[in-house]
Amino acid sequence: MKVLVCVKQVAVLGDEVEFTDDERDVDPDYLDYALNEWDSYATEEALRLVDAAGEGEVVVVSVGDEDAEDAIRRCLAMGAERGIRVEAEGPLDPIQVARALAEVVQAESPDLVFTGVQSSDSVQAATGSALAGLLDLPSVAVVTKVELGEGKATVHRELEGGLVDVVEVDTPCLLTIQTGINEPRYATLRAIKQAEEKEIEARSPGETGEPGYRVRKMFVPPKGEGAEMLDGNPSEVAQRIKEIVQERLA
Amino acid sequence: MQDLTPGLLAETATRDTFAGLETWEIVLWYVLIVISVAIFLFGVARLLLKYRGGRGHVRLGNYRERATNVARVVFTHAWIRRRDPLAGIGHLLVFYGFMVLFAGTVILAFQDDFANPVLSFDFWHGWFYKIYSLFLDVFGAALVAGLAYFAFKRGILRPFRLQYWRPAEPAESLRKQPRRYEIGDWVFLGSLFYLALSGFLLEAFRIAADNPSFEVWSPVGWLVGHGFRAIGFEGDTAAAARIVDWWAHGVFALFWVSSIPFTKAVHMLAGPAGVGVKDDRAGNRLAPLPEGAKAADVGYAFIDSLLPKHLLDLDACTKCGKCHAACPATATGYPLSPRDLVLDLREVAEGSMGNRAALGIAPEFPEHAEILGTIKPETLWSCMQCMACVEICPVGIEHVPIINQMRRALVERGEMDGQLQQTLETIYTSGNSFGEAKRKRGRWTRDLDFDVKDARKQPADLLWFVGDYASFDPRNQKISQALARILRGAGVDFGILYDGERTAGNDVRRVGEEGLYADLAEENVAAISACRFDRILTSDPHSFNTLRNEYPQFGGSWDVLHHSQLLLELIESGRLKPRKGLGYRVTYHDPCTLGRYNGVYDPPRQVLAALGVELVEMPRNRDNSLCCGAGGGRIWMKELKGEDSPRPSELRIDEAVALGGIDYFVVACPKDVTMYEDAIKTSGHQGEIELRELSELVYEALAV
Amino acid sequence: MSVLVLAEHLRGKMRPITLELVSAAKELEGATVLAVIAKDPASLADQIDVEGIDEIVNVHVEQDEFENDVYREALEQLIADRSPEVVLVGFTINSMGFAPAVAAKLGLGFASDVFALRRDGGDLVAERSFYGAKVNAEVDFPGHESVLLMIRPTSWPPAEGAGGAVEAELDATISGSRARHLDFQDVATGDVDITTADFLLSVGRGIGEKENLEQFEELAETLGATLSVSRPLVDQGWMPNSRQVGQSGKTVKPKVYLALGISGAVQHLAGMKTSGTIIAVNSDPEAAIFNVAHYGAVADLFEVAEELEKLY
Repeated sequence: MKVLVCVKQVAVLGDEVEFTDDERDVDPDYLDYALNEWDSYATEEALRLVDAAGEGEVVVVSVGDEDAEDAIRRCLAMGAERGIRVEAEGPLDPIQVARALAEVVQAESPDLVFTGVQSSDSVQAATGSALAGLLDLPSVAVVTKVELGEGKATVHRELEGGLVDVVEVDTPCLLTIQTGINEPRYATLRAIKQAEEKEIEARSPGETGEPGYRVRKMFVPPKGEGAEMLDGNPSEVAQRIKEIVQERLA
Repeated sequence: MQDLTPGLLAETATRDTFAGLETWEIVLWYVLIVISVAIFLFGVARLLLKYRGGRGHVRLGNYRERATNVARVVFTHAWIRRRDPLAGIGHLLVFYGFMVLFAGTVILAFQDDFANPVLSFDFWHGWFYKIYSLFLDVFGAALVAGLAYFAFKRGILRPFRLQYWRPAEPAESLRKQPRRYEIGDWVFLGSLFYLALSGFLLEAFRIAADNPSFEVWSPVGWLVGHGFRAIGFEGDTAAAARIVDWWAHGVFALFWVSSIPFTKAVHMLAGPAGVGVKDDRAGNRLAPLPEGAKAADVGYAFIDSLLPKHLLDLDACTKCGKCHAACPATATGYPLSPRDLVLDLREVAEGSMGNRAALGIAPEFPEHAEILGTIKPETLWSCMQCMACVEICPVGIEHVPIINQMRRALVERGEMDGQLQQTLETIYTSGNSFGEAKRKRGRWTRDLDFDVKDARKQPADLLWFVGDYASFDPRNQKISQALARILRGAGVDFGILYDGERTAGNDVRRVGEEGLYADLAEENVAAISACRFDRILTSDPHSFNTLRNEYPQFGGSWDVLHHSQLLLELIESGRLKPRKGLGYRVTYHDPCTLGRYNGVYDPPRQVLAALGVELVEMPRNRDNSLCCGAGGGRIWMKELKGEDSPRPSELRIDEAVALGGIDYFVVACPKDVTMYEDAIKTSGHQGEIELRELSELVYEALAV
Repeated sequence: MSVLVLAEHLRGKMRPITLELVSAAKELEGATVLAVIAKDPASLADQIDVEGIDEIVNVHVEQDEFENDVYREALEQLIADRSPEVVLVGFTINSMGFAPAVAAKLGLGFASDVFALRRDGGDLVAERSFYGAKVNAEVDFPGHESVLLMIRPTSWPPAEGAGGAVEAELDATISGSRARHLDFQDVATGDVDITTADFLLSVGRGIGEKENLEQFEELAETLGATLSVSRPLVDQGWMPNSRQVGQSGKTVKPKVYLALGISGAVQHLAGMKTSGTIIAVNSDPEAAIFNVAHYGAVADLFEVAEELEKLY
């Protein structure tokens, strides 16, 4: 069994922010990078399924420049077999990422394709579904449980409010994996360093086409009216909270 | 005739070892000796094979120093006496009693089997015999006295450390061990008693039979023998009893010797051996991973992953329970006792690859037995790596490195609590445990009315390695600011690394994430090496320890100072002039990584003295200081303490408050600041005592 | 300008997002077409009889409930049929399955999690967040005749009033559903319904350990509040999903929402920001929750919790 997991090296913004001169993005100096949280769940799920199947491989694919390889290595350190980097420079929107991935995914012809539900930096929740659309793969989004069967899989989708939709999906298929589906294993730094010795195959992207949107301007969200701050020690704060609660519930 | 006998014999004071025995009996005796020695040697050989079954090699080098140290520790009982002088004296009596009796037997054998028959040199008579008799009798009595004290202690006093109460449930296969230990301890004590008593009886029967006058030189035997005679037990009856007791004493003694490698007595061999090969920096300098380590090479997951020295440690343990009594985790109901950990591991080692495995005695373990599981993860995560156990162990057991190695194996398998995993991920991505942006590391300096040098850009006398807590925690930031103002006031030229600093990694290493530690250390070494400075300063004992003791493994050897040392230096050189007499009554808590790890006990106290405060020591101070509970990465893990137990930090605050009228609980460690600020509130002592960091008091004393 | 809005329904009920989308469409001042994909769209008609819809297209399919391929193909056909300039769908778990696929296949302009819309001359400008909602951005769609936007729930109030939309029918040809709905499992069975509570005590990651949860369960009881949580606690398996407030949990609107140790991820805020009175306690003065809270306190949540416990 072959499971292909698409992962992303996401940018993490701290408490402070400065923008680039054209104000269309955050100054990279203010960004740290990490493997997208959702993708670690997707990788873990893939590893577990291959483990349960007793044979097969987990292949990790990411789109980006060489820095994106950190995300791949993290997954290799978790136990993935191979890593592929689809070469791309500069920012791509999720649909362009899906286009860049499409050819590579097709060429690998995996049994399952996983992506995280969304990335923590752009929160579009779109790459997986777009990729499924381009490859004409059956797909289910926001999956919280996977059970494999013959030529199909039974998966859970967790709807807003906690209702679970049980879905039967034909395989091969693409699933976008939600956090909480498992407990991703810890990749020790020793394993990460060892993964650094593994060759990550670089492939050229498919035609990425025009972006789906363009950022006009980025800015720090205006603070709302803001909360009226309750000062004082915890006991005074608690007293005020009690008063407010009683007043509002009355 | 009988009246003359003593006088006559007095001329030739001696005795025939084999008096009254037939030739075949004497032959049998020598056969038994050979068998006994053979069993002993077999046992010792098996032990050595067991240690060789471990991974790696015994540490060698400095033979003379090591030998001197063993001799000192063994003959003075320096380690055994600590924190329980009575037990030390008891053991001293038993030890010297046993040694002298044993030496006496060896001398006798030398005379009977070599000097006399081969060299025709017979020295065992006359004055020598008399002195010999007296010596052995006195030390025999000492042995009995020591044993009696131990029996009294074990049976009547029953101190906590000698009870087999366990804070953690043992593994299923080891359920019955505590009961067996209890029986075994009594049997061991009893066997020594038996040896001593049957020996004395032998003497007494002989004296009762013949009543030689010179045997007054064996005062105990003389008294007992004459007691026998007084009740008419003498002559042939006594002689016959002597023959019976001769065999009863002799055979048991041979049996006892042959059993040494198989029983608690093995500590007589393993204890001194362990002390001899002990790493005197065990714990404060942990071992790096082997070059190119694969997952299977990491840590202790199996019994044969242990270093030979650590396998030896397991045998050296006498269950004295000093570690059990010193451990902050045990004291607060965490599922860990260092003693139980060692004993459980010993069961696995013995049942898997030791004498017990060879003899097929339960509990048995498979070859290459897994130890993660027999020792539960929560047991290993309970450890604060505070070194209290290693520090007090009279036989040099290295619990802390053993636990650390087992944690490495757990980390490699990803078996850790979610909070810890998250912290490690955070440290990996942000370089600090707070998950703060790198550039915010130097932010605490903004509230100062002067600029703090960027040591990366300008040379400075002192490179201040600030550490995570002192950089990011709001309460600790105030302390860092106070220290900066003190240094500024004293005209000290110092700089910090700003965002070039990453967490020093002392506790990352102690958690067992060695790969991440190595990464942090390498980056810090590179950052520090690029600066120009004379000495490194840190207010964080954890950073202090790893910078000082462990960074040399990564190519960074510097003179590292704790701020208490620097403050003392500045006060002594007159660059800081504290206004005398703050007049507070304070107590001081020794941070583990400063005190036990690095022996820095006095500078903070001397600084306090210079400030004119009255220092009242808590009952547990200096090397006996109780860990705050944060060490070994515990500050990043979920609570594991016993349900009804206080936290170690709360216990400590109780201890301080009980001193009465203490104004300030003084600490010299940023983690202590966090832990004890919290504990003062949660222990219900808010308003009774306040926390001060050393720098804060110094700063106060400087203010006009 | 024509706007196509896609209705979302579940078990015979329109979901709130549908009427929110209608409100969002109003900002674009164009003809609004609401498409209802269902086995029997007419049965849902009375729930969408609101002001602001010019036309309702009933798209007939064989499936009662949402299935990904069905919606994808139906939407493709709707777009082919109507050539809308803007397509609005919810940024919901259903739409995440098919809307990006449609945008990718048809080469539409696309942005998701949009919470504000406006026209700037001829350009459509949408607002969305980046980098963990720490920054916002205005985005536009140069070169795209047609744009598909996924709209963040609760960003617009539900449309109200009386409608008067004309109705049209469309028979969609679905080539086959490869991801079929089998069953619904209500995980909330037997547990309390946090959506109907007047007073919610909500806790988040700040509580640190599972063991501490009990303390807050007790506090909730003392206060007469219902305990709810943020996503991380559900991910850890500490609480059932039925207690989760937020985008992937429940949208709540109690009279009082007392948040302890919740930093206020955008997904969480989406689920509670319309609460009557929001009181937030957090040790981080920069926590985003303070932006939507009416009252805030920078304090240790455990200390406040303890003090509260004493007061009742």
